[in-house]
Amino acid sequence: MTHPAGPFNHEAILVAFPKGRLGDELLSRLAGTSLALDEAALNSRVLRIPTARPDVQVLLLKGADLPRYVAAGVASLGIVGSDTLDEMDVDLLELADLKFGSCRLSLCGAKGLTIEALKQKPHLRLATKFLKATADWLKREGLTAELVPLQSSVELAPILGLADAIVDLVQTGETLKAHGLSEIKVLGTTSARLVAARVAYLADPERLRPLISEIIGLLSKE
Amino acid sequence: MATHTPHFPDLLFSGAARLRRWEGLLMALLADAGYQELRSSLVMREPHEKASLRFFDGDHLLALRWDYTTALARMLAKRFAEPPPRVSYAGAVFRRANQPWEPVERFEVGCERIHTDKAIRDEADVELARLLMAVPATLGLRAAILQIGSAALLRRPMEQEQLPKALADAVTRALLRRAPHRVKEALGGHPASPRLFAHVEALLSESDGIGGLQALDRSPYAGLLEDEREHLRKTLEALSPFVPEGLRLRLDLADVQGLDFYTGPTLRLYAPGAQQELAAGGRYDGLYPELGKPWFAAGFCVRLSPLLDLAETRPDLFDSIGAEVQ
Repeated sequence: MTHPAGPFNHEAILVAFPKGRLGDELLSRLAGTSLALDEAALNSRVLRIPTARPDVQVLLLKGADLPRYVAAGVASLGIVGSDTLDEMDVDLLELADLKFGSCRLSLCGAKGLTIEALKQKPHLRLATKFLKATADWLKREGLTAELVPLQSSVELAPILGLADAIVDLVQTGETLKAHGLSEIKVLGTTSARLVAARVAYLADPERLRPLISEIIGLLSKE
Repeated sequence: MATHTPHFPDLLFSGAARLRRWEGLLMALLADAGYQELRSSLVMREPHEKASLRFFDGDHLLALRWDYTTALARMLAKRFAEPPPRVSYAGAVFRRANQPWEPVERFEVGCERIHTDKAIRDEADVELARLLMAVPATLGLRAAILQIGSAALLRRPMEQEQLPKALADAVTRALLRRAPHRVKEALGGHPASPRLFAHVEALLSESDGIGGLQALDRSPYAGLLEDEREHLRKTLEALSPFVPEGLRLRLDLADVQGLDFYTGPTLRLYAPGAQQELAAGGRYDGLYPELGKPWFAAGFCVRLSPLLDLAETRPDLFDSIGAEVQ
């Protein structure tokens, strides 16, 4: 069996950054710092993007894939939303809550719909990308529901009759408002987390800890 | 369509030769220290472990051996009035993988130190740690880190606070991730929350070596954990003069892996550049009493599967990979 991390180990420390909304916020926070990404490489198809620090390179990955790269040790560190971590059963270390990219994970439905009305439904259908978090909430509430797994445009589900309500991330609420939906209940909050490969962190602490402190210092600033 | 997966690895010439050679070297190391080999059956008749691979033999549900320590403990508890003090084993165990790259069939070599006199606990733990310190050089591994922790450092405060099992599990899971924010979230408004959180922060402090034990001064449970701290101090002191070249001894106060099994000091072997733990063990004084025997026990297991993997992907981490299969 060949482990995916092998060839990368002697080289620069690889840090996995997420693509998308969280990634955009992360890159803007790092602009002008020692971990700012090389602009030319960012706009090319370079796999490992250099930073201002010669010993640190960045992999840009889809959020849902990122924890696997870190858990497998391909990237030693990563930054990912807690919502993604909570949906996956991966063995990695979650060293800090970076307290940016915050969203609410909320139960949402048509304006005026109440949680009591949903609880009365004999066959409740909830559409979501967050199956585990939704199932955990249903369990805590003693409810049962059919979960409709969706990957995107979840807000369309109640409008088109695919589900009675949705569980989704809400940042400003503008998307919900535009579709005539509203938040019924906040199930939790999410934010960016600094994660590390367990063995890379435990086996080579001197190599990673200064970088970890630097990332926390740079990103925890308001 | 069936897919070939690495979960049941076939070892070709060099891999097979390396496995046989490493098993031989490690079993010789253990035999020299007085450990006698036991070989439990590959089939276990108690197929209740969730991670086990189960199958029917007629009407009987059986499982493939999922853990050597458990298999040996059942055998020893059934067959011996007094325990053999030092036993060793080599062979495969079959356990469902937690991560996609883990094999289901895993090759292991390990040993158990079993005793009836609690007073020799310290001596037995040092003996095992010294043996484990010799493993990297035996396999030709150039650099390794042996981390020593203690399961009691979290277990005892949680027992004292009478945390309900679900809450204790949530705290353990959060600390397993080394996520203090998750520990805080898990403890919520529990009356012991400020104390336990302060304790977790002390465990997560990054100080190293014997001096790292001073971090426990900041814990509200410093008094409760005095015995464990003293035991760790003595163990580290006893081991320090014998640390071989290429090995680094570290203290890891926040090691909570296997907290439901380990009761005292824990041992974990890593190598810089390797992405998986290479050996693990510790004290598990609860196992034999559960089987009706008032025996104390500790042991470790060398995980040959990740080591074989490492030899293929990072031969530069070993002294003699090229020469050994000529």
